[in-house]
Amino acid sequence: MAIIVSGRGMALVILVLSYILFYVFMYLGRKGKEIPVRTLPPMAAIPEGIGRAAEMGRPVMFTPGIAGDLNDPTQGPQVLAAISILGYIARECARTGVKLDVFMPIPTALPLTEETLRTAYMAEGKPEEFSPDMIHFIAGQSPYLTAVLGYFQRERPATNFLIGGFYYESVVMGEGGNTIGAFQIGGTANTHQMPFLVATCDYVLLAEELYAAGASISKDPDILGCLRGEDIMKFILIALMIVGFLLGFARNPVLINVLRW
Amino acid sequence: MAEVLRREVVYLITAIVTVIMFIEFFFIGTWNVAEELRTWATIIANISLGLGAVRLLSEHAKNIQKRRAGVWPFSIWLWIIFLITILSGLAGYVTTHDAMKNPLYNWLFKWPYTSLGQTLYAITGFYIFSAAYRAFRARNIDAALLLIAGCFVILTNAPIGEVIWSGIPVIGRWFLDYGQVPAMRCFLIVAAFGMLAYGFRALLGRERGFYGEVVGE
Amino acid sequence: MSEEELTFWEKLARIDRRVFYWILFIGLMIPFIRPIVFPIAISPSTRDLYEGIKEMVEPGDVVVMNIAFGVSAWPECMPAFCACTKLLIKEGAKIIFWGAYYDVDMTYQEVLRRCEDYFKDLKYGEDYVYLGYYPYQEAAVAQLAASIRSIFKTDNYGTPLDEIPMMKNVDKATDIKLVLSGDTGDVCDYYIRQWRIPYGTPVAEIGIAMLGSSYMPFYKSGVLFGMSVGVRGGAELEKLIGEPGEATIRMGAINISHILVVIAVILANIGYFASRRK
Repeated sequence: MAIIVSGRGMALVILVLSYILFYVFMYLGRKGKEIPVRTLPPMAAIPEGIGRAAEMGRPVMFTPGIAGDLNDPTQGPQVLAAISILGYIARECARTGVKLDVFMPIPTALPLTEETLRTAYMAEGKPEEFSPDMIHFIAGQSPYLTAVLGYFQRERPATNFLIGGFYYESVVMGEGGNTIGAFQIGGTANTHQMPFLVATCDYVLLAEELYAAGASISKDPDILGCLRGEDIMKFILIALMIVGFLLGFARNPVLINVLRW
Repeated sequence: MAEVLRREVVYLITAIVTVIMFIEFFFIGTWNVAEELRTWATIIANISLGLGAVRLLSEHAKNIQKRRAGVWPFSIWLWIIFLITILSGLAGYVTTHDAMKNPLYNWLFKWPYTSLGQTLYAITGFYIFSAAYRAFRARNIDAALLLIAGCFVILTNAPIGEVIWSGIPVIGRWFLDYGQVPAMRCFLIVAAFGMLAYGFRALLGRERGFYGEVVGE
Repeated sequence: MSEEELTFWEKLARIDRRVFYWILFIGLMIPFIRPIVFPIAISPSTRDLYEGIKEMVEPGDVVVMNIAFGVSAWPECMPAFCACTKLLIKEGAKIIFWGAYYDVDMTYQEVLRRCEDYFKDLKYGEDYVYLGYYPYQEAAVAQLAASIRSIFKTDNYGTPLDEIPMMKNVDKATDIKLVLSGDTGDVCDYYIRQWRIPYGTPVAEIGIAMLGSSYMPFYKSGVLFGMSVGVRGGAELEKLIGEPGEATIRMGAINISHILVVIAVILANIGYFASRRK
């Protein structure tokens, strides 16, 4: 008697295998095993960008895009990764005395953003430099976009960070930042916005690099462990693709039938 | 006790709901519980719309209270427009069960909102134009290939491309249908694993942002 | 380096973007004053969308048209959405409209207005129904597939679904012939994951041009049975249904803007290479 719904068996196997790998590496990470993440050029460029702002005496702008709130399955992880990176940026800004402005259009992420900034400034021993006025909350895509463009023209930030889940505002903000000569670092996992960030930003975090960047900053063993598990799963999928490709030449449907179980 | 309620109970509820959804999706059987939970999730999502509005209004009320320079007149304006819109919409709904039938509500959406929204979306075209001029330069082999592929795809989308040369849509369509599809599939798979990992950490209670905690606390 | 010291080629590579904005602005006005019409070839994804609707839909079938695009995306999505609506009405389908955007009411009213000639012979409740807004969340889409009445107890005007003739035997994804999702972002992903994969309900995308490449993998693997991409997709559908309209007129502007982009890129590269050679 069938217990598993037809056609979903292999998905269950892949899911369980993924979870086992994630858990194993999360466990090893918590036990102290180092899980290295390669140096990402955009992350190495963050101090450069903030240093530029310090020299020019102009502020730094950060925004995570409006694509979705924290509970959205596709956009939520991007926003959380972006807020992790914001914590790092905030610490650098606190250290160098650079003004930071955060444009946050997602209401559910506001408390987390505020706490992240407060924690960052406290960690650098400058709690008095944090102010909730650093966070500009503007709901709605069009108002958020116009507010950011207006900010660019008035304040002329030296460095912009466009990191998170974006919709069409990515190209407008990216090009708006170029208009004022800002140094820009972008990052998103939304495939339809990646080309615009690549075209308008000096450095870009693409897809999983966004999650890896968040992990490399926070050094959270859970996130790093999951990254390692994801890499292993990708190797398994690549092996399956190669086997399937070769079996395809032989017109052998065994792998297809297994994957359709 | 409050701390335990805040953390452990939230973790427990998340874990139980996730397991129920897994069982419903993968195993045969009727799970009214899963359907009930999804209905509750939809109701909560609807409530969050109201919460978002309350949050927006409270932020702008703070701006007005503090007379935040350059901002507080616009915050007053937001309050005025918000009240006009919500009252006119409610009036339409109460009288005719259709908010759009209220003339003021209809006008607000039809003329200012639509025009402004479409204008801002149209700005995208101009910015893409200047971004293309600035970014599409053949600085190296990769950039040159990107540039050539981009030009073919651009001209495939416009009927004039076929008039210029009949081969343009053939090559452009190849890029669209075959050239970029493997890369897109990679991004899809990567994004899917990212979601899997996020969900797993939330299931175990180790996704701190999901629970509103700050990393480093 | 001051402006006077730049050579012609360097100036060519550094043309002020405002010059391009004016050229684009003026260029885009021309086809609206004097239409520039070129033949439009039908792309495979749009043809499959059209043929798929014609093959799958029979008179009396219930289809869902999901409105997940806001007013700002009307120029891109509305022509294709209306063309599909007209096609479905011609095929005798009964249409359920619902949407995931807060301005879905406006978009629905606009669809009715643009397809007025088609709707005038139809009866609300028997041939089409508008259920209204549902939250922009995958859980809602998943629950709609399991039971429409768990999300929508009534239509948008307060009539219980059980009292609406066309909704009498319709409550879940398996009762729906196909779904056409007009959206600007992730909503079609939700329908793919929660309707197409678990229940096999055919799904097609009517999207903005930015989404064309994102959804191409789904179309090429057969998960989506068709796809209309941006204004071009709308123009192709208008041609297929034999009613050239707004999108066809806009193709003139598309021609101008795309040619100008290519010319600008060529000028930039000529200036870049010539100034490098010096």
